[in-house]
Amino acid sequence: MSMDLKMDKDGDSVTVTVTGDIDMSSSTKVRDALGPLFQNNNKVIVVDLSGVSYIDSSGIATLVEGLQWSHNSKNKFRLAALTPGVKDVFEIARLLSVFEVFDTKEQALVE
Amino acid sequence: MSQPIKLSIPSDPKYLGLIRKVLQELLNSHDVPDDTARRLILCVDEACANVIKHSYEGPCDEPIEATFTIEGDDFKVQIRDYGKQCKIDQIKPRCLEDLKPGGLGTHFMNEIMDEVSYCTDRAKGTLLTMIKKLKTGLTSTQDKR
Repeated sequence: MSMDLKMDKDGDSVTVTVTGDIDMSSSTKVRDALGPLFQNNNKVIVVDLSGVSYIDSSGIATLVEGLQWSHNSKNKFRLAALTPGVKDVFEIARLLSVFEVFDTKEQALVE
Repeated sequence: MSQPIKLSIPSDPKYLGLIRKVLQELLNSHDVPDDTARRLILCVDEACANVIKHSYEGPCDEPIEATFTIEGDDFKVQIRDYGKQCKIDQIKPRCLEDLKPGGLGTHFMNEIMDEVSYCTDRAKGTLLTMIKKLKTGLTSTQDKR
């Protein structure tokens, strides 16, 4: 399954909506999209994963990189709407508690 | 399933989706529960990605051969490549406490599968064999800690 990215900017927040599989062939696209967001004045960066049914270690690595960028830049980096398959991979990696995870992108943007 | 299912893909990341789809169909046809199927697919995907990264190191036209067998309670997958051989004792997952990108694929395979073994006793490449007992179903990460 191919992957698509959509960005919605609202004030000082930005939501990146990913649809499709995040694997070795597509994770670079996610990385390239996220990187510049940490250089701008985005207070909150939300990755909406509701349309992602599959993620592999390269996708997880990309999100870990985003988390590290957020620590360096003071932007908030949040994940929203993890599907059961994606949540399971985070759990096996024991990374669920490391990220700020929200049930919906709306919650991620408000809180 | 008396005959194994064999699939050969080029060492190009764009074919990882194909191998996932084929395996999904195979597991569906054997009524493997979705949660278990998802984890088995993750392991196979990670194994092939490791071949692309560490065995072939770039070229996208080298062969990756996958053989799937479901016999009784056992799901067995073998991944054969003809690239660079790694020292088997150096194939290990990174420490999870150390938060950094990468290095999780081997952890996933070791965590999910019942058996993971590498054989480099050949002129070229590696044969990876992974086995999962299907009736045991999901093994929670907590159970393995």
